[in-house]
Amino acid sequence: MKRVLALCCLLAGYAGTLTAGTVTVEDFAGRSVTVPEPARRIVALAPHIVENLYSAGAGDRLVGVVSYSDFPIQARSLPRVGSFNAFSLEQILASKPDLILMWGSGNGAGALEKLERLGVPVYVSELRSLDDIPASIRRLGRLAGTEAHSETEAQRLEDGFARLAGEFGAAAPLSVFYQIWHQPLQTVNGVHLISQIITLCGGRNIFADAATLAPRINLESVLARNPRVIVAGGMETAHPEWLEHWRQYPGLQALNGGLLSVNPDLIQRPTARALDGARDLCSKLEAVRTGN
Amino acid sequence: MITNVIHRRRRAQRLLLLLVIMLPLTMLLALGSGAVKIAPGDTLSALLGADRGQASLIVQQIRLPRVLLAAIIGATLAMSGAAMQGLFRNPLADPSLIGVTAGASLGASLLIVAGGSSLTGFMGLSLVSLAAFVGGVLAVLLVYRLASSDNGTSVATMLLAGIAITALAGAAGSLLEFFTDNERLRQISLWKMGGLDGATLPRLLLATVVAGSVLLVLPRYALPLNTLLLGESEARHLGIAVNRTKLALITWVAIGVGTSVALVGTIAFVGLVVPHIVRLLIGPDHRTLLPASALGGAILLVCADALSRTLLAPTELPVGIITALIGVPFFISLLRQRHHYGMQT
Repeated sequence: MKRVLALCCLLAGYAGTLTAGTVTVEDFAGRSVTVPEPARRIVALAPHIVENLYSAGAGDRLVGVVSYSDFPIQARSLPRVGSFNAFSLEQILASKPDLILMWGSGNGAGALEKLERLGVPVYVSELRSLDDIPASIRRLGRLAGTEAHSETEAQRLEDGFARLAGEFGAAAPLSVFYQIWHQPLQTVNGVHLISQIITLCGGRNIFADAATLAPRINLESVLARNPRVIVAGGMETAHPEWLEHWRQYPGLQALNGGLLSVNPDLIQRPTARALDGARDLCSKLEAVRTGN
Repeated sequence: MITNVIHRRRRAQRLLLLLVIMLPLTMLLALGSGAVKIAPGDTLSALLGADRGQASLIVQQIRLPRVLLAAIIGATLAMSGAAMQGLFRNPLADPSLIGVTAGASLGASLLIVAGGSSLTGFMGLSLVSLAAFVGGVLAVLLVYRLASSDNGTSVATMLLAGIAITALAGAAGSLLEFFTDNERLRQISLWKMGGLDGATLPRLLLATVVAGSVLLVLPRYALPLNTLLLGESEARHLGIAVNRTKLALITWVAIGVGTSVALVGTIAFVGLVVPHIVRLLIGPDHRTLLPASALGGAILLVCADALSRTLLAPTELPVGIITALIGVPFFISLLRQRHHYGMQT
């Protein structure tokens, strides 16, 4: 018994010496990530993580990012360690990070194990909902010791989304078809972030029930479900020209002022820009609703 | 021996008759099925243009071009496969073996990366399809050149050259994908998946003209192909212009398969297994094998496409998965009955 007590004291003392600057944060995989002091050299393995780190006020700590990290503009000149699905472990080590931020579902199977073997704390990011965006910015702020900045930003996002929900959540629902590609025809199901934004704006994704996240869709089922609004998205740039295709089907009610296009860059990444994208989509849907 | 031959001929005629009856029935069935439920009676009246509502729009503008395109492409792939297996006297030969599929993929990828995908070509065909066609035909010509010498064209060398060019084009394509941006990467991967949902009247017209002429020309080579089954020198002694026949067959197959890849992407399996199934049923006589394969391929692809539209509706399944899921069990059960089949050439 004495021995156990002594061991406990020893452990407590050991923990005490660590807590000086130690930060422990739970990541999105449910693991607890501990950094001995606020991270100074961070490698981020997905464009949306880079963006969120800037939102948390810690963008200047980045020493390695992956390709397509194009926002904010400063991120473009950061050193690359590869792409999100093919990164170089050597390059990561060479940048001497004290924290690695990885993308749970995007970095490939076994990525976590490989990165953990480098002996650097690894934080897993996996954003599934709009609420996860401010939550993620808060956690990144704690890891980098920039809580003051990250808390303000997280609060701004929460307020912004709450205001949109209050304004449009109870509005008359509009049926919406969101087109992420036109040939072949591709949309998103109800789990996708874009679909959550549509719901936030008082819309109803007509393919929320589809089996996969980004299913290829049958043309005739779009005609059959006859949405009030068709939104043309894309990957990086907006594609308003896709909307012309729908004019050959006169039975579509969306032809009556319901053809919209949005900048897909704003609403497809789980980052602070999703609020701007949501505001844009909400106001466009509201214009359809009120007939302006 | 002679009774055996007569017996076979009779069987072949019965199979051809059955397939000729089944094809239009399958196509009607496919016209009546889709994500939107349309009653059989309404399908017919919509097809004949009796009503002008949504049903006629869906049947005439969306389903009809698609079903017809599936039939033509399926027929072309299967007949080309039969001709290739006959020419190479190799049960593994399939149209993609001479490099046409990989060449077409590379052609399409090159054009997408070069940024030409937003430009429209002629007749509603994108420039990407055109590049795919050119890539496919060029790859075949290259394979043919590699395998040809003053002594003629070696079939074995051609198979190996086909594999080499396929690997090279595949690597070049992967390299392009590695360096390109997200949006183009998506275009390439979606193009590669292919599918019949891009069926429009202009595309159908083009497929009918090009693939249709391949379907008309290939059966003329039935007798030379039969003679080639004896071996090349035997065929030469029997008065067949072996090298000219080879070049002609390869060119026509390249045109047919190139068009099909350009229009609907790669649909594996139809060209490989349909001819085998038909050969197991009625024997290797190309006079009946070629047309029966074409009909069988058309039926298989029309069925598979109808299923791909309906199984997970409104989501579409890739049609290649379904052709394999329908065809493989049938093929395996035939192989089980005649397990020496693979030894024959």
